[in-house]
Amino acid sequence: MGNSIRKQVADLFQFALILCAAVAILVPIYWIASGAFKQQVDVFQLKLLFTPTLANFDEIFKSPYNLHEKLLNSTLVAGTTVIVAIPMATMAAYSFSRFRLRFERTMFLMILSTQFVPAVVIVLPYFLLFRDLGLLDTRLALVLVNLSLILPFAIWMIKGFIDGIPLDTEEAALVDGSSRLQVIWNIVLPMALPGILTAAIFCFILAWNEFLFAVIITNSKAVTMPVGLSLFHAEEGVLWHLISAAGILIMLPMFGLAMIIQKHFVQGMTLGAVR
Amino acid sequence: MRDRHLKYLFVLPALVLVLVTSFWPLLQSFWLSFREWKLSRARESRPLWEPEYDGWETWPYLLENYQRALEDDLLWNSVQVTSTFMISSVIVSVGLALGLALLLARGGKFRLTVRTLLILPFAMSPALIGISWRFMFQPDFGLFQAFFGALVPGLAGVDWLGDPTLALIAIVGSDVWHWTPYLTLVFIGGLANVPRDAQEAAMIDGASSWRVFVDVTLPALIPVLAVGIILKSIFSLKMFDQVYMLTNGGPGNATQTLAHYIYFHGFKYYDMGYASAVSYLLVIPMLGLTWLYMKLVFLKR
Repeated sequence: MGNSIRKQVADLFQFALILCAAVAILVPIYWIASGAFKQQVDVFQLKLLFTPTLANFDEIFKSPYNLHEKLLNSTLVAGTTVIVAIPMATMAAYSFSRFRLRFERTMFLMILSTQFVPAVVIVLPYFLLFRDLGLLDTRLALVLVNLSLILPFAIWMIKGFIDGIPLDTEEAALVDGSSRLQVIWNIVLPMALPGILTAAIFCFILAWNEFLFAVIITNSKAVTMPVGLSLFHAEEGVLWHLISAAGILIMLPMFGLAMIIQKHFVQGMTLGAVR
Repeated sequence: MRDRHLKYLFVLPALVLVLVTSFWPLLQSFWLSFREWKLSRARESRPLWEPEYDGWETWPYLLENYQRALEDDLLWNSVQVTSTFMISSVIVSVGLALGLALLLARGGKFRLTVRTLLILPFAMSPALIGISWRFMFQPDFGLFQAFFGALVPGLAGVDWLGDPTLALIAIVGSDVWHWTPYLTLVFIGGLANVPRDAQEAAMIDGASSWRVFVDVTLPALIPVLAVGIILKSIFSLKMFDQVYMLTNGGPGNATQTLAHYIYFHGFKYYDMGYASAVSYLLVIPMLGLTWLYMKLVFLKR
């Protein structure tokens, strides 16, 4: 009897702790999100009730902020990076997964170890190179440096998925006279597609949130959303209500994408985004 | 086409791109670290191994950049800030995550819903986290400001980001918020691999739940804990985004991490040779941690 009461108290205590954790996760997100619907005066008050407005979303797309340009930059840069990286990564991952290569381990470790190089080291020579080539402040330059971040990670993640596909169907098709390329196109790709899409979404999130490269390489034309956050200053100070509105546009799409790939999120992140 | 050609052809594009995008800049900045190049003054870099004619001849000194770095108090300050930040954020986030993972490991609808929430902070842009934390730590109207002020009377009305210690705590806090949920998910994954029967057998033998945790659960968790700790350390070592957005290294240089120090010398003072040398000082501990991580995660198989 006494034992079951003790157990109930313990359960209640656990419940309370978990609830605290959930609140701690949600409150900052809520605070950013709600700021986006506040008028400037309400931002400077802590009250929970306010008259919501959509004016902020109007203002951030107007001059001088022109956030639609940054939105386009972020989408194009992240999208192009993923479109270039994923096919290359899939080919390499297939080879690493299915064949024995000369220097296989060296090559694989080399590719992975680049994930741990601090981005600030990579960006110095790139800055100088892009300066000489006149590529500073272009989306092309951002795509190039982002590839150094995305590609190794995509190889690692997709290899994991291909490793999980059983060999038998492939071997049977090869015995029946299909060529290797036919086997890859007709059998492996369809089976690996969910994994490849997961990796693609994942890489898109990484590229979308990337900040260090963007803050150094861009200054007006190619500015991305995270860098654009610093634009919201006026003479009277920081324009928090506009930052919140831009913040919603940065985080909501990524929340949506993260939810889609929920199951693989942890597995993927264990190696990714290390820079 | 034969497999033995195809398999190399498949690896080639990726390998070339990795070499070009990662190894080339690594070598290039190593080379630069032995040269002097202030972008604002000179069009070309100057090798440090040749004497400079500047009215009189100075001695060539190959390691000038490195020596200058080691003699700079601000560099040592940033080393200290980085290590303080790294140690505290690793301990707090790993500790909290372990606790939360134990709480959430059991199934049930409530716990599974909370688990879903855990992926949100990690999908968020660190720059956005940094700038909104700055907002929430503002005196007068900041949310955290009000919350901690109400909780701890001494903190009421304090300017968090104007105080060296509190500013660092604010950065650690934002980082812990970003990382703990993710680490929790990693640890929940690890807990799923702890043998249930061993735990139950210990329970039946009359061991207290604390002893079961220490003797059975914790040892089984050590590999995944190690991965979590090393991974978190690697990330902490190159902390930049939140520092830039939340405090920009201030007040003074109280929260300037190594990555921020390098950024400052490279892209505010445009002192490329010096920044490259300092960045190599960051690469060294990173290599150590990477080696450890690789050993734990990949080489075991």
